[in-house]
Amino acid sequence: MLLAGSLAVLGGGVAIVVGNAHDRGAYAAGPAPRVAVPHGPIATVPDAEQDANVPLPAFLIIPAIGVRTRLVRLGTTRGGAMAVPGTTAVAGWFTASPRPGAIGSSIIAGHVDSYLGPGVFFRLRLLRPGDRVFVRRANGTFAVFRITAVRTYLKTRFPVQAVYGPVPYASLRLITCGGAFDYATRHYLSSIVAYAAQVGSTS
Amino acid sequence: MRLMMSRSGIRNVLVACALSAGLLTNVTPASSSVAHDDGWLRLAHLSPNTPAVDVYLYDFGNPKAEVVLHHVSYGTVSPFLPAPAGTYTVAMRAAGAAATSAPVLSTAVHVQAGDAYTVAGMGPKDGLRLVVLKDDLSAPAGHSMVQVIQASMREHLVTVQAKAHVLGHDLAFATATAFQSLPAGSYVLHAAGQTESAENRIDLQSGSIHTLVILDAPGRLKIVNLTDAVGSTVLPPTAPATGFGGTAPIPGPSLLPWLSVVAAGLLLIAIGLVSLRRNRRQFAARRV
Repeated sequence: MLLAGSLAVLGGGVAIVVGNAHDRGAYAAGPAPRVAVPHGPIATVPDAEQDANVPLPAFLIIPAIGVRTRLVRLGTTRGGAMAVPGTTAVAGWFTASPRPGAIGSSIIAGHVDSYLGPGVFFRLRLLRPGDRVFVRRANGTFAVFRITAVRTYLKTRFPVQAVYGPVPYASLRLITCGGAFDYATRHYLSSIVAYAAQVGSTS
Repeated sequence: MRLMMSRSGIRNVLVACALSAGLLTNVTPASSSVAHDDGWLRLAHLSPNTPAVDVYLYDFGNPKAEVVLHHVSYGTVSPFLPAPAGTYTVAMRAAGAAATSAPVLSTAVHVQAGDAYTVAGMGPKDGLRLVVLKDDLSAPAGHSMVQVIQASMREHLVTVQAKAHVLGHDLAFATATAFQSLPAGSYVLHAAGQTESAENRIDLQSGSIHTLVILDAPGRLKIVNLTDAVGSTVLPPTAPATGFGGTAPIPGPSLLPWLSVVAAGLLLIAIGLVSLRRNRRQFAARRV
């Protein structure tokens, strides 16, 4: 059950490769030797890309909640916080986070609403584990993700490390606001984070 | 321009539909069953004079192999594999040996949710052992975390430096350092034994975790820089403000006036009922 399902079936004996591409030497994978196929599932390992080789994200599609938006770039504010999209109609990728499809926790944020009505991530909280998320990159390829969890946090207890901290796999964190709205400060009191793990990509 | 936009929009939808339906054949699957609280395991062959091996990963006590990595040779480290929390057995067999044959060696690994582990075959062939190293998955602001695995057998003692930072002094063959924090930046890495050495330039991003493996290469040492985990280079101190309240429920005036109206109504009804019963009783008494 555990790892088996996660791995693609691969014929023959294919050596896995160490480190980054230019580090492959005589001691890493040589030409794949022919070995007999043994019993049991034969697996290859998930192949997350190195950040430098991953194209920039351009467009986000989440069929389950009808999201189709271009992705703007989000930098940091003077106070060190993440900038938010200038319009509630688009989502943005945090440029200080890894690119979607590279190893690490890639951050995409969008507004839940404007002063008048729903924003691009209005229905984010309705995502369920298993829902697919597609990120089209600048070169036209897609990175495909699967939602693993949707969590609501009080902003006063936002888990900065869990959301922005290092992870050893290609992952997405989709962030918006939720919970009660404080009309005095005009801010929502909670954040909604949808976590996703990469399940594939198109070439 | 408008036409272009809508065309690319249509293309996006079509591709998304095709991807959802599994129609596109050029999708490279990575891991399709990662769960939110999975742990992570990777497998490595770091014994210079041990020929290639097949590495098997079993769920504890489950005789069916869950993962088999074929023909893993010296210097090979797999990417991290998702593994639900639990106990696993890692076994190594000579490359091509039957899956039913007795393994050359095996070890148990306890995986905790969210943690990452490296299981490496280390040491010389006649003293080969499986070592379990737990990754550090957090870095202080502005820093990168680095560990060194010394897997050179020709140089039994290797000193590894990043600029002036000594990451390991006279590291013995088949040992690993603890994770150390280095300020983010670009470094010239220098590894030197008695006669052989190696030099690499590495970029350490803030919020990234690295493992540096020192290997034997023909006539020299070799440094492999593995990126274990990556986070944001800036850790925003607060959650982003991503809403203006346009869909939030508008708090009406206090419910108190309504409640008092309802309470007054109930009171009137109660009084009415009581007086009605009293009138009936009086009426009945008069008739007797």
